[in-house]
Amino acid sequence: MHGEILRRLAIAIPQLLIMTFITFLLIDLAPGDILAQYRFDPRISQKTIKALEDKYHFDKPVFVQYGYWLVNFCKGDLGYSFSRNAPVTAVILERVGNTFLLGIFALVFTWAIAIPLGVFAAVRQYSWTDRIMSFISYFGMSLPSFFLALLLMYLIYLASGIPLIGSLPISGMVSAGFDQFPWHRKILDIGAHLMLPTIVLTVGALASLQRIARGNMLEELRKNYITTARAKGLPENRVVYGHALRNAINPLITLFGFSFSDLLSGAALLEIIINWPGLGSCMLAAVRSQDTFLVMGSMLMGGGMLVLGNLLADVLLIISDPRVRS
Amino acid sequence: MHRALISLCSVSLLLSLTSCHKQSASKSGDAAPVDYMAIQKKAELFVPAVGKTGGEIILSTFSDPKSFNPITATETSTSEFTQYMYEGLVRINGVSRLPEPSLARSWDISADGLTWTFHLRPGILWSDSVPITAADVEFTFNQLIYNNDINPCSSRDIFLINNKPLNVAALDSATVQFKLPVPFAPFLRSLSQEILPHHIWAPIVKKKTFAQALGIRTNPDSMVVSGPFCLQSYISSQKVVFKRNPHYWQKDSTGNQLPYLDRVIYSIVQDQNAELLAFKRGDIDFLAAKGEDFPGLKKDEANGSFTVFRLGPNTGANFLFFNQNTGRDSATGKPFVDSVKLSWFRNVTFRKAMAYALDKESMIRIVMNGLGYPQWSPMTPAEGYFYNPSVTTYLYNIKEAKRLLAEAGFFDKNNDSILEDKEGHPLEFSFCTNSGNNVRLKIAEIIRKDLESIGCKIHFQQLEFNSIIAKISNKPYEWDAVLLGLTGGSEPHFGRNVWHSSGNLHMWFPSQSKPSSTWETSIDSIFDAGVVELDVVKRKALYDQWQSSAADNVPLIYTVLAEQIYCINNRIKNINPSPNGGILHNIERLYVETGAHAR
Repeated sequence: MHGEILRRLAIAIPQLLIMTFITFLLIDLAPGDILAQYRFDPRISQKTIKALEDKYHFDKPVFVQYGYWLVNFCKGDLGYSFSRNAPVTAVILERVGNTFLLGIFALVFTWAIAIPLGVFAAVRQYSWTDRIMSFISYFGMSLPSFFLALLLMYLIYLASGIPLIGSLPISGMVSAGFDQFPWHRKILDIGAHLMLPTIVLTVGALASLQRIARGNMLEELRKNYITTARAKGLPENRVVYGHALRNAINPLITLFGFSFSDLLSGAALLEIIINWPGLGSCMLAAVRSQDTFLVMGSMLMGGGMLVLGNLLADVLLIISDPRVRS
Repeated sequence: MHRALISLCSVSLLLSLTSCHKQSASKSGDAAPVDYMAIQKKAELFVPAVGKTGGEIILSTFSDPKSFNPITATETSTSEFTQYMYEGLVRINGVSRLPEPSLARSWDISADGLTWTFHLRPGILWSDSVPITAADVEFTFNQLIYNNDINPCSSRDIFLINNKPLNVAALDSATVQFKLPVPFAPFLRSLSQEILPHHIWAPIVKKKTFAQALGIRTNPDSMVVSGPFCLQSYISSQKVVFKRNPHYWQKDSTGNQLPYLDRVIYSIVQDQNAELLAFKRGDIDFLAAKGEDFPGLKKDEANGSFTVFRLGPNTGANFLFFNQNTGRDSATGKPFVDSVKLSWFRNVTFRKAMAYALDKESMIRIVMNGLGYPQWSPMTPAEGYFYNPSVTTYLYNIKEAKRLLAEAGFFDKNNDSILEDKEGHPLEFSFCTNSGNNVRLKIAEIIRKDLESIGCKIHFQQLEFNSIIAKISNKPYEWDAVLLGLTGGSEPHFGRNVWHSSGNLHMWFPSQSKPSSTWETSIDSIFDAGVVELDVVKRKALYDQWQSSAADNVPLIYTVLAEQIYCINNRIKNINPSPNGGILHNIERLYVETGAHAR
């Protein structure tokens, strides 16, 4: 198993290299550069712009620029974010925690709700509870997250007189007076701000996961060994939760690995609307303003997480499925 | 007695104004233009009340600060915050937009206009109680602005006159003298340049690390300021919090220390819908609203928690322009612009026809929900003193547009509803604007429809902002027509890069070695004369002439300006709305009615 993990990590290196180079090339191919906003400012002279070009090698060919980036990366320097006016490492570190926090909350809630619901729906296939859940699933799946976010924000605004719901924060991660709160109020404050985005992300992801869990479960329940188990006279609970569920869960583990990479790149639009200071919105802004180094940094995070997520899924699968182990 | 009379007058004016508002609100969808000149006159007479110290105001902004360094910063997202922290020798009056004394109490000018001597206010202090002296001014110019170790910056560009620095010397602790190489009319206004404390930054400059100083991750306590507020904390993408500077130099009429507010809190909100909801909930106190949100806000205003102000046209022009570049690619010898198109675009009759063809009323109605104004002059009313209201206008007139096109030789010869020029070339060209600006996109859509209706064939394209800038400012200048926008300023000379034919932002034909037309020659000479003319009345006459000539020759065809719509929570007092300065220009005198807020 250790050999396998090492092999995976070794493959990841060329993967990441190719990914970063393609990203770099794409940003370079797009016309214009990050200095456009300065070129279009009447107060800034040509000389100033030329000096900035020199300093950041914008006048060099793309391969040379990538070379500079790679060398600096190996030294642990991800470069300087022009649009944020700070080192890329600092920008990413500052935001990665926020995105991670939101991602983990959404992940935990989604899985904790979706799997039991899926199993429940499968066991009671075509009952009215299954139908209602199917309806809700499709509804949640078809509703874009940004729209659901705006809808919830508006509902909270309308409920402004009602205690608790009415005073829920609708945007941001902290309240205006946050820096003067004692620590326990700080935690409560962030928790309250987490409510809305967590609900939105959970509702959005819940549907598909619940459908997949239901499908897998149904498939297992139709298999011969289930019939055998039932014929042997095993209690129904044991049949469903001890045998069918155990097998139905395997494909979901791979899925879990993939969703792990979503933790850091998931919800750019939602982040913008509810003003969550995460990596997604930051990355989107960086792409739009062609802030090369920041895009590269965020890509590296996303790519790294994908590689890690796949690895994690494989390891989990080895643990849960004895057939893979041999 | 006199004062009482004035305040009585202003009260009655206010009453008539509010009753006016009520009338207009009762008619649904009524958006008659406001008399912003009258509001401006009233703002100039405003006498602030004596307020109460304490409380806070919560504002919102779309973007994070990129630094708190007024020397190296070039972007507005930084000056939005540094304006609270630092003052210059002069400040720009929020209502008149004219320079007035700030850290300097008074100044003398030599007869030739080359030597300016400034006298600092006695007893003024930095926020760490160290006196503000002439040494700080000398330091800011000689060791920061003119220091080549520090990143290139726009303040250096402003203070290099004919590429020469000013000679700045502290004569004694309260007197500082500037010697200019040539007369420079915008000099006084430029001296709103923020002054930084010598005692804090001199060692940092010696270590050559000033470029990183005052960054977004610098400890706020180390930022010693002269303005009304000090930075208290900054949480990335969430909050910027300012607290009052107890040593600020201004006091109110009864000697109370200003500012009144304890804190100014900026909430960073990236989405406009979220911002609107937050304002309606009372989470933020101030909102710069869009025309489409006006009816809803006006309705909620009746609940009594906030007031909506309409203050006339905003700054921020959107204009259509054509490529008039007569240059050739030096490598291939090919002209940048096809000679047929060039002959159209350089023809002033053609450009005037295009100007008449733009339906400004529809733009205002569709894009701005009826709350907007057509723009004719390169300056906007809100930019104050130098604005020239009497220039040639091009009210929407299809007949006149068609007549002018016929005069320029354009007829539909083959009845395909596309016009052809004298040689039979169809009137066909590309037109692009940048994506990401909804207002501009909608205006572009209307322009396209208008130009098609008079017989042009348009190839419309949306590009990212960066791509458009690359196209219009670099060889091979491959574009025909573009809709873009610029934010202006009160000082016309700072638009020199756009209007002087040698300027790199002279967008229709940048960086000319000598002007390509007689009207460009005359505008060049206006800008050359305007910068050395110290008599402000003569200067105004010069720049009036520029605005007339610009409107007559329409290199930039201006479209419409949105109305300034500002909403502010009623718990904030001492509001003095001004079309030139908005609502927050007197933030050091704003105060909070006690007991009016619970948060």
